[in-house]
Amino acid sequence: MTVATQTSGMDRAVSFGKRVLMSEYLILYLCIAMFVGLYLVSPTVATPRNISNLLSNMWPLLVIAIGQTFVLIIAGIDLSQGAVVSLTSVVGAAFIAQSAQPIVFSKSPLWDIMLFEDGAILHDSAFGIPVAIFAMLGVGLLIGAFNGIAVAFARIPPFMVTLVTSMFVGALAIYVVKTENIIDLPDAFSVISDDFAIPGLDGLEFFSIAMVIAISIAVVAHLVLSRSLFGRWLFSIGHSPRAALVSGVPVKKVIVATYMFSSVCAAAASIIYTARVDQGRPTLGAPLLLDIIAAVVIGGTSLFGGRGKIMWTVFGVVFLVLLGNALSLLNVPYFYVAIVKGSVILLAALLDVVRRRVALQQV
Amino acid sequence: MTSNRLTMPILRNMPAILFVLVFVLFSVLDERFFSLDNFSNIVETSAFVGLLAVGMTAVLLTGGIDLSVGATMYITAAVVGTLLQQDVNYIVAILAGIVAGTSWGFVNAFLIAKVGLVPFVATLATLTVGRGIGLLLTESRQFILPPVMAYAATDVFGIPLPVFVLAIVVVAAVLFLRYTAMGRQIYAMGNDIEAAKKAGLNVVRLTGSVYVISGFCASLAGVIAISQQGSISAGIGEGVEFRAIAAAVLGGTSLFGGIGNVFPGTVIGVLLVQMISTGLVYLQVDLYLQDMVAASVIFFAVLIDAQRMRILGRLERRNIRVEKGDTGPPKAKPAPAPS
Amino acid sequence: MTDLILQFQGIEKAFFGVPVLQGIDLDVERGTTVGLVGENGAGKSTLMNILGGVVPPTTGQMLLDGKPYRPTDPREADDAGIAFIHQELNLFTNLSIAENFFISDFPTSGRLPLLNRRDLNRRAKEYLALVDLEVSPDMAVERLAPGERQLVEVAKALSTDAGIIIFDEPTTSLTARETERLFDLIGRLHDDGKTIIYISHILGDVLRLSDAVAVLRDGNLVATGARDEFTIDRMISSMVGRDIENLFPARTAAPTDDLMLEVRNLSKAGISHQIDIQLHKGEVLGVFGLMGSGRSELAEIIFGLEDFDEGEILIDGEVAKSLSPTSNIKGGMAFVTENRREEGLMMEATVSDNLSLAALPEYTSRWLKRVRSSPLAKSVRETVDILSIKVNDAFRNEAKGLSGGNQQKVVLGKWLMTEPSILIIDEPTRGVDVGAKYEIYEIIDQIAASGTAVLFISSEIEELTGMCDRIIVMGQGEVLGSFERADFDRESIIRTAFREYAA
Repeated sequence: MTVATQTSGMDRAVSFGKRVLMSEYLILYLCIAMFVGLYLVSPTVATPRNISNLLSNMWPLLVIAIGQTFVLIIAGIDLSQGAVVSLTSVVGAAFIAQSAQPIVFSKSPLWDIMLFEDGAILHDSAFGIPVAIFAMLGVGLLIGAFNGIAVAFARIPPFMVTLVTSMFVGALAIYVVKTENIIDLPDAFSVISDDFAIPGLDGLEFFSIAMVIAISIAVVAHLVLSRSLFGRWLFSIGHSPRAALVSGVPVKKVIVATYMFSSVCAAAASIIYTARVDQGRPTLGAPLLLDIIAAVVIGGTSLFGGRGKIMWTVFGVVFLVLLGNALSLLNVPYFYVAIVKGSVILLAALLDVVRRRVALQQV
Repeated sequence: MTSNRLTMPILRNMPAILFVLVFVLFSVLDERFFSLDNFSNIVETSAFVGLLAVGMTAVLLTGGIDLSVGATMYITAAVVGTLLQQDVNYIVAILAGIVAGTSWGFVNAFLIAKVGLVPFVATLATLTVGRGIGLLLTESRQFILPPVMAYAATDVFGIPLPVFVLAIVVVAAVLFLRYTAMGRQIYAMGNDIEAAKKAGLNVVRLTGSVYVISGFCASLAGVIAISQQGSISAGIGEGVEFRAIAAAVLGGTSLFGGIGNVFPGTVIGVLLVQMISTGLVYLQVDLYLQDMVAASVIFFAVLIDAQRMRILGRLERRNIRVEKGDTGPPKAKPAPAPS
Repeated sequence: MTDLILQFQGIEKAFFGVPVLQGIDLDVERGTTVGLVGENGAGKSTLMNILGGVVPPTTGQMLLDGKPYRPTDPREADDAGIAFIHQELNLFTNLSIAENFFISDFPTSGRLPLLNRRDLNRRAKEYLALVDLEVSPDMAVERLAPGERQLVEVAKALSTDAGIIIFDEPTTSLTARETERLFDLIGRLHDDGKTIIYISHILGDVLRLSDAVAVLRDGNLVATGARDEFTIDRMISSMVGRDIENLFPARTAAPTDDLMLEVRNLSKAGISHQIDIQLHKGEVLGVFGLMGSGRSELAEIIFGLEDFDEGEILIDGEVAKSLSPTSNIKGGMAFVTENRREEGLMMEATVSDNLSLAALPEYTSRWLKRVRSSPLAKSVRETVDILSIKVNDAFRNEAKGLSGGNQQKVVLGKWLMTEPSILIIDEPTRGVDVGAKYEIYEIIDQIAASGTAVLFISSEIEELTGMCDRIIVMGQGEVLGSFERADFDRESIIRTAFREYAA
């Protein structure tokens, strides 16, 4: 008898565990727990200043992670997003920098073409900033098109394609400015990431153009995924590319479009990051890759394709940003940071595998 | 059909063809390139990439990938450096470093073969964690190595030690992959994992083994690399995974598993990669342009690999009709007259 | 005094409650060759899979050398001396012939764990000599012709020194010369006292090779006896001689004369040869052919999944130019593939997502490409009702949880939602129980009655004669013959399909 009750107790615990594991809010709960825990150890976390900091870390990461979510849904991966951030940052700055030191840039291939002693080519044009932004998005679009074509038409595994693109684009970013940062961007550009308060809500300086950009992209992406034809097609390709093809889904075109979207998201995030650091930095995106993938996968989007939601990615991004905040508030030495970040990816991948197995059992 | 028949031999011999092309190209572009000194230099500097590429070849044969080799090198280097700081005998330190690096290979093996994580994600994570562990061990300080660690400059039987070590590892890998049951089973598994399971092969053990081999090779590479550099710094092994993958794939090893060999394939690939980077240095090409060239070379290699797989797939498809000109459709002899 | 090596006693097997074998009693004498024949789906493979340890019987037992024999996996069958030569090859193409022989159990020499390649090749050469294949055992399998690969597979089976050897359609990819070689070998194995079970559609071959013949029909053993008791005629009539009960719904409407789909002189190297097909509105045109006759490949070409070398395809009188599934579906075509799991369904997606996939563009707003979810949901519900798909919640339950029949109805439903004018269906009732079969036939009848032109591909002659207005017979990628409904005669249709072989 006792044995029986024990097992049923066990069963209940197991089924509760499974329910928690499969819950789409698991990561949200974890975020809340982390925030509360952190608050007990270090109350600074809840100061308006820190929260404003948290949020401004969140917006660009969210934008870029949304692109990755789309790619993961079709069972692909985009490892080149970080490099796209770097290159587009340099490209954007090379249109609008207010000055350029000859001693720093005279060896750059851009010197005398885009960069001049009295500033970048469009530094005093009214169209400077719009052109810079379109150029950044355009570069992203091109890189994404290349990735998509190599995956869909040349049938090279996605991780290999994007790894190579990442290597090439990352090196190109450094090459065009010979490792130097392009500084002195116009205020009208860096305002994108500036916090400001809504009148009447003093002390709550959470609002920024970056926030508007990120939230709009998230809402549109959510609608596309859940309501549009394109969204349905993405999931069908993630489930079974062959069944999708037979059912009339233009599989190759959709794949190319998805990689293009992913890169454009990276470029859009680059606009925010570039405005934030107030310079075109050729290594800007280098540390981002792990955060992006960890955020998306830990949120619940599967590496195996066919499963994903923007809401989950929002949770994942909050989790990663909080984690980063915790590590810095607790003054964790930076070599531990690498260990923690790598472990988070492992944890995310593990969670993905376990969720998949549990889901397969439940048939 | 006919065009495939023509393309296949070209694709099959691509490593050798590329080798000759690149060689001729650089020799024409810069006369200093064509010299004995330069060749021995190419061979010597390629030693540690060669070690990595041998391990990578084994991993690619199973259809996997190991992005963590650079971090494994760094872990090995960090363990060796830390022990040397505590006045441990250098041979003991080196052995401990190799054990540590190989254990990191075991971690990959466990995560991929046993837990079932996707290889590139698992090794991307162990790459990051491994770097962190290395930084933790060294506390990110740089060590200058004692003179006793300058063994990379010594000769064994008139051959520079790094080349000698590489030669031994290549021979061992060829023996393992070509002349042991396990080696052949790795090839079989890479060709068709379902059929391998049906034939009763232990796919978990086989898959795991290649990551351990890769970890071991990477730790040897770490031991060679620190001696060549004379110091241990956080930059050790950064980005080397690209060169190892490039060398293996340029040598004809397929990303899709089951195809490739260490000798001559990967060895040619390693020389090719090193020749390209040495050649670019000779031509005084910008450092970052070199990376871009390297990326393009890898892309070219994987592009060829993917096209080869498509053509192979098409050739494998069974024909329904036996076209005329052959011995004709299968026809039975008339049956014995029914009684 | 007979010496029985193998006895099947009351073997029954059912998959998901659908019986596929019923009360099989069969004795096999030592040293004889038994020919096993029957239509596709008659239960031959299931019986052999039971013997080979791939699946267990539901009831009944087997005796091997008089002792009970209950294999739980293929290795046990191996150990018991039963070798299986499958229709599809199980070779590692990147390895040498010799390595393929010993892959799971390599012999090593001396204390070193190294392979003794000389020894390996010597032993492999002996096995190759058994099959009379004069190639180096060192040669990679990928360099061998299909026929040679088949012989290697045979040699591999022989290397286990089996007493019973099963050949399942071994000649499908062989040339005449290679076939002769295989038959010589089977003759020699027979002379050496091996017991052989030979499964084939080529009845002439069966008569030539066998000492005894067993005929399966619908999971029953309908005829057994010595070879002399059989002629090709008798085999065919045993295979098809079933009483037709009320298995098929009466057709509700007659076909029209309006040409909907026309295939003219279509050829593709190695796949199809000069195919002409005319399909009218409201017509159900059957395509009969044995496995590997090129019928599914033809459907893939028409639907735009594969390209072709010569000829043209006309839809509603117009030559279709750029063929792709996307453009064909837009033009009103639908295709229920033979392979439900990989090509028909997204197994891990919901029933509703599966049903709506092909028709999505029609439920999408022009502006913003938004999926109009409420009309779509309404259509999904209607489709579930009309086809009576048994599912608790079509919007939550995944396709993989459904029975075979219901899964097939989901695939049909997916295409019905596009309101097609041309419907291609390939083996729609495979793996479907009897009740669901009848429902599927009713659906097909209704689709045709609504004016849709249906191309019905099947290897089950009964359902074609029951449902079609006309049947064409395919073999070797060619159209071998055509029958009007008035002239439907199972024997002559099968005879046409077997024409190539029965001579």
